[in-house]
Amino acid sequence: MGPGRAGRAVAWAYIAALLLFLYVPLAPPLRFSLGGGGEAGTRAGAVTLRWYRQLWDNPLLVGGVQNSLLVGALVGLITPPLALLAAMAVRELRRPRLIVATVLLPLFIPGVSMGLASAFFFRQLGVTPSLLTITTVHVVWALPFAFLIILAVMATFDPMYLEAAYLHGAGRLRAFVDVELPLIRHGILGAAIFSVILSFNETVRTALVQGPNNTVQTYIWSTFLQVGLSPTLYALMSLLIAVTLGLVAVLLLVGARGAVSARGG
Amino acid sequence: MGALQGRVAGVARYALLVLPLAFVAGALLVPLGLMFVWSFWERAGFWIRPAFTLASYAEFFAGVRLSVLERSLVVAAGVTLLGLLLAYPIAYFLALRVRRDLARNVLLLFTIPFLVNYIIRTFSWVYLLSRTGPVNRALMAAGVTQRAVDWLLFSDFAVFVGLISSYMPFMIYPLWAALDGLDRRLVEASWLLGASPRVTFLRVTLPLSMPGVFAAVIFGFVGTFGESAVPIILGGVGYQLMGNTITSALDVLNYPLAAAMSSVVVASMLAFLLVWYLAFDLRAVLGKIARWRF
Repeated sequence: MGPGRAGRAVAWAYIAALLLFLYVPLAPPLRFSLGGGGEAGTRAGAVTLRWYRQLWDNPLLVGGVQNSLLVGALVGLITPPLALLAAMAVRELRRPRLIVATVLLPLFIPGVSMGLASAFFFRQLGVTPSLLTITTVHVVWALPFAFLIILAVMATFDPMYLEAAYLHGAGRLRAFVDVELPLIRHGILGAAIFSVILSFNETVRTALVQGPNNTVQTYIWSTFLQVGLSPTLYALMSLLIAVTLGLVAVLLLVGARGAVSARGG
Repeated sequence: MGALQGRVAGVARYALLVLPLAFVAGALLVPLGLMFVWSFWERAGFWIRPAFTLASYAEFFAGVRLSVLERSLVVAAGVTLLGLLLAYPIAYFLALRVRRDLARNVLLLFTIPFLVNYIIRTFSWVYLLSRTGPVNRALMAAGVTQRAVDWLLFSDFAVFVGLISSYMPFMIYPLWAALDGLDRRLVEASWLLGASPRVTFLRVTLPLSMPGVFAAVIFGFVGTFGESAVPIILGGVGYQLMGNTITSALDVLNYPLAAAMSSVVVASMLAFLLVWYLAFDLRAVLGKIARWRF
C-alpha cells in the first residue's frame, strides 16, 4: 500500500518547495548589506563592506552587542541546570504530567503577554529594568526548549546503570555525577547552545523589559520603528543570521559527537 | 549516614527538584495572575492605582478594538488551518513513509530557519513581496500578469505569508511525533480487514494523530493570535491585530487596557491548554522523548 515512485517524488518536491519558502527570507539581508546604497558616488550593484565597518562606529549598537553577549552567556549558563533539574523532577517526583505541563507553559504564552506581565511585575516590585530582567525573561522562554532537549537525551539513558551504581554503594549524588552526567553531557551542552540561540533571536519579550538597555535585536526593532530599514541594519541582520547558523553548526557537531559517544559507550 | 543527615539530604534534593517549577511559577504564573488583577485597576498618571473597575474591559469590548479581536481570531484561525493543511502531509510522509534517520534530518532542515529571528525573516518578505521584488518579477516574466501585483504587500495576504513562515515549522513537530508514535499494527489490521487506504486514513490514522493535531493547532494559534511584529511590518499602516494593539495601548500609557487585552489573550490560550491537558495524553505528543510512566 506504499505510494508509488511518482507519489514519493511529489512528496519530496512538496517538501523542497516548503523548505525553499522558509529559506528564501534568509538571503535578502545579505544582498542589501553589500550594496552601494544608491547614493551619489556609489555604483549600483557595487559590492562594499562599508556598512559592516560603520556598525562599529555606533556606540549605541556596540553597547547592544555587549548586552546581547552578556545576556546570552547568562542564559546559556542558567537555563541548562534548571532544565536538567526539571527533567529529573519528571522522573523522580509525583505528578510528572503536571511538571511537564508547567515547564512547557512558556511555549504557549504569546510573547507580548509574557513580556507585558513581566514588565508590570518588575515595575510593581520596584525592580529597575536591567540586563537581569532581560535575562530572567529569556530564561523563562528558553527553559521549555532546553527541557525537551535534555528530556530526549535522558530518555536514551538506561536507569539500570544508576541501580548498578547504588549496588556498589554510591549515593544519589555520586551516582548522578559519576554515571549519568557523563552520558547526558552532550544533551546539556546542546541545551546551552540552543538557549543562547533563542536569547540572541528574541525581540518581542525583550522590548517590554529592556528599559534603557538595548540588545542587538531590540536595536534593530526600535531603529526600524523610528527610521525604517537601512543597509546598516541589513548588515547587522546578516551578521545575526551568520552567528545563528554558526551556532546551529556547533549544535549539530555536539549532537553528532554525542550520538557517537552514546553508541560507543 | 545518620538519620538526620539523611533527612537533610532528602529535603535538599526535593528543594533542588522543585526549583525549576518555583522559577516558572514566580517568573511567569504569578506575573500573569497579577496582570489579570491589574486589568481591574485604574489609570493614574504614568502608572496604575488599586481599584475595581471594569472600565478597561468595557473600553475593549465596546470600542473599535472589538473588531481587532474579531480580525485576530479570523486571521489566527485561518493561519492555523492553512498551517495544518501544509504541515500534516509533511509530518505524515516523514513519520510513516521515510526511514527515521532521514526523517530526523529533514525535520532539522525545518528547524534551522525557525531559529533565525522571525522578525528578520519578516523584513525580508517586505522586499520579496514588493512591487519590484522577485515574486512580482517572476509573475510578470511568467506572463501571469502584465503589471506588478499590488496586494502582495501590506495586505492580509502578506500577513498570512509572514505568519505562516513564522509559525508553520513549529506545527510539524507535534504532528510528526504523534504519527511517529502510532502503533503500525492498527494500520495493518485495518488493511487486513479490507479497508481502503482512504478509509484507513480517515478512521484509524487521523483519529489517532488527533493529540498532535490539537497540539499543532495550539502552537499555530498561540503564535498568531498574540503576534505583534508581523502585522506592523507586513500589514501596512493601521493593520491591527491583538498583539500590536496591546503594544499601542502601552504607547499611550493605558496600562490597565493593555493588561485587560493581554489577559483575554492569555485566558483563551489557557482554555485551549486545559482542554488539551484533560482530553489528551501528553505522551502522545512528546512521542519517544519521554519513556517514563506519566
